Amino acid sequence: MSEHRTDWLGALVVLVALALVPAILGSSYITGIMTVALCFAMWAASWDFMSGLTGRENFGHSLFIGAGAYTAGFLNVNFGASPWWSLAASPLVAVAFSLVIGFPTLRLRGPYFALAMLSGAAVMQSLTIIFSEYTGGQDGLNGLFPFFDSELTQYYLTLFFLAATVTTLRLVANSPWGTILRAIRGDEASCQAAGINVTFYKIASLMISAAFAGLGGALYAHYQLQVGPDLFAVILSINIIIMVYVGGMGSIYGPVGGAILLILLTEALRAFSEYRLWVYTLILMLILFFLPQGLVAPLWRRLRTIAQ
Amino acid sequence: MKALLAVDGLNKRFGGLQAVKDVSFALEPGSITGVLGPNGAGKTTLFNLLTGFMTADTGKVEFDDEPLLGLAPYRIVNRGLARTFQLTRPFVGMSVLENVEVACFAPRVRHEGHARARAHAMLEHVGLAPKAASLVDVLPYGDLRRLEIARALATRPKLLLLDEPFAGLGSSEIQPLADLIRELHRKEGLTILIIEHKLRELMQLAHEVIAMDFGEVVATGVPAEIVRHPRVVEAYIGKAEIGESGGALGAA
Amino acid sequence: MAEILVYGAVISAIYAMLAVGFTLIFGVARILNLAHGSFYALGAYGVYALTADAHLPLFLAAAVAVLLVALFGVAVERVLVRPLRRSTLAVLMITLAVALMVEQVLLLIFGSEARNVPSMVNATFDVMGADVSGQRLLALSGAIAILSALWFFMQRTRLGSAILAISQDAEAAQYMGIPSDRIFSLVMGLSAGIAAAAGVLVAPFQTVIPGMGLLPLVKAFAIVVVGGLGSIVGSIVGALLLGYTETIIAFKISIEWSQIVSVAAVLLTLILRPAGFFGKRAAF
Repeated sequence: MSEHRTDWLGALVVLVALALVPAILGSSYITGIMTVALCFAMWAASWDFMSGLTGRENFGHSLFIGAGAYTAGFLNVNFGASPWWSLAASPLVAVAFSLVIGFPTLRLRGPYFALAMLSGAAVMQSLTIIFSEYTGGQDGLNGLFPFFDSELTQYYLTLFFLAATVTTLRLVANSPWGTILRAIRGDEASCQAAGINVTFYKIASLMISAAFAGLGGALYAHYQLQVGPDLFAVILSINIIIMVYVGGMGSIYGPVGGAILLILLTEALRAFSEYRLWVYTLILMLILFFLPQGLVAPLWRRLRTIAQ
Repeated sequence: MKALLAVDGLNKRFGGLQAVKDVSFALEPGSITGVLGPNGAGKTTLFNLLTGFMTADTGKVEFDDEPLLGLAPYRIVNRGLARTFQLTRPFVGMSVLENVEVACFAPRVRHEGHARARAHAMLEHVGLAPKAASLVDVLPYGDLRRLEIARALATRPKLLLLDEPFAGLGSSEIQPLADLIRELHRKEGLTILIIEHKLRELMQLAHEVIAMDFGEVVATGVPAEIVRHPRVVEAYIGKAEIGESGGALGAA
Repeated sequence: MAEILVYGAVISAIYAMLAVGFTLIFGVARILNLAHGSFYALGAYGVYALTADAHLPLFLAAAVAVLLVALFGVAVERVLVRPLRRSTLAVLMITLAVALMVEQVLLLIFGSEARNVPSMVNATFDVMGADVSGQRLLALSGAIAILSALWFFMQRTRLGSAILAISQDAEAAQYMGIPSDRIFSLVMGLSAGIAAAAGVLVAPFQTVIPGMGLLPLVKAFAIVVVGGLGSIVGSIVGALLLGYTETIIAFKISIEWSQIVSVAAVLLTLILRPAGFFGKRAAF
């Protein structure tokens, strides 16, 4: 069986497992944690699509998350719109943000692009606090409605969108787009010499990344039922990057595993919540020195070789 | 016969240095033309100007009757003007085949489909087919050169610009590459412009030679004449007295 | 008006110290050191711990704190950064990890409440009609002294010239036999020491909390981007620009708005003039 077939089969197995676990365990607490984990998985996968493939690490992914979440908040709380509108609007708003920040920053080299994006998110965070009459300032917006009264049903909705996200991103990554994005990582000048419109692909991949991040933001907002400026915070972007490092950059599915692992780990360490950042940081350092390819993706690749 | 490429009064200045000065020439379709000159003569700058990687201060360039200056590099490629780089720049982390595949996705040739098969065909043209699955990271220099050519060919150019294709190659690799270039010219009907400061190889391949020094065109003509042209001799031998090879003037 | 002039000067001087250290390690070793703010915080906490817990006299504590942090900086470069030097992004991430780690350690040891560091100079002075604390004036003069000493070191000593040489052309410097690796460690130590000195000087009048290094890091980065990565003069000019802009906005509009200035400045500069105003090395 070809590699791709095995990949999809493995994904199916994981999907089924993710669907069954909360239903079997029947605990509202577990379902809640898993919902959050799935949102992080969407954020990590969407980050990986752009940054993992092109190698241009984006330190301001929270910009798109916050944009999506606040859009959901505005529509639901300020305008009384049904939560379902958020699913359409949030990605669009996030994409708009990506256009605004992307055009001027994508021509910058690696670390500068990273930090420019970080600045963008930080500015957004400050603006959100300053214009508190509209955004609720530090307290944010409260009183969002969930999609469903049943937490389990909402979990399945989130799982559906995660599956859709990963499927779409993988399909694109395996298409000529993916090859081109990886070539951009290799050498931009050579891409131009090969007749490729590099700017277009960079912006487009950022837009796609933003769309799914915004979607995750909306789902998160309608789960937490509140949005705050923390959703634009630098630390959120960093946590997501760490999840991607754990998962294995460039694989799209690896970061999903990384996100779920780290969220579960965080919960398990809830008793030691002061040490949480310690743990994240230690993990990051270990990965950088010993497992630069990550944990999840290499593990899967090994399993896959055995299975074939 | 109408010129495929017509260059008129091209100028480029970097701060205090006039890298390209009032360069004009024309290329007939189907010709192989060489650009000769010592390091620092402005050859690579000329290529960069023609391919859009640098912007000219003044001048006009017409390719196939259409103006070329001011276009982004990728657009120029899609008009049918491809180039290789002096310092090869492969897509690291990807296979040899994928490196050529990328060029198959260029808008100019995308509609042909079957990118993988076409990429493979290009590799066969240049003799790299056996290494299709290898990662470029481990490829020897000579192979990287061929890869660059394969990638350029994949965009089905009318004009191919080769920037010092023989640089850094051992004597055993030079002849096969020269043969390849000649064969490509014959089979594909390509017009070729080669920068090279290795006289012998250039003389063998080129029908006509443009000699440059200090950013200017100092002579044009058939190889036999150029080699005896006083300005050319001065540029080469003169520099040898000061101790050339490597550029008292820096990079081309 | 006088207040703006004086307070602006103090804050610009401190920013200059932070920016110069940041640009130094970047210019020489191409390291975007996200742990730079940590050195600043460690300086402040160092002087606190040495006076409050170890009961050292204030000036001795200050000197020891700076020295220890400088050594820490050298250790970070040798142990954590050097193995990862092949990838600029890996270096970025590891310095980030150090920054996070330091903040966590400080939080664990000292807790999240602000710490009190006694002033070195207790008197208040009247400068052009404005009341300025002696500590602030000390910070200003200390910064000027340290930066002058640094200038002297760079321009007049052999080691300093070696450092300048590397920052202009690392490869050429290696061919000339300058031991780049050792110099990187040295410059990191220098950079860390200057940042720590800044922390020591401001500790009496700034909030000493574990997270105190983040904002100064952002500002140092902002200044360095605006002034030009690798340019010391640019950093000083940028520091003056930022320091005074912030002070004026803080006095005339609000403190919240003044905090955006630095981040907005980064964005604008990267967009409009990526090489900064004095920079030799463009951001793209």
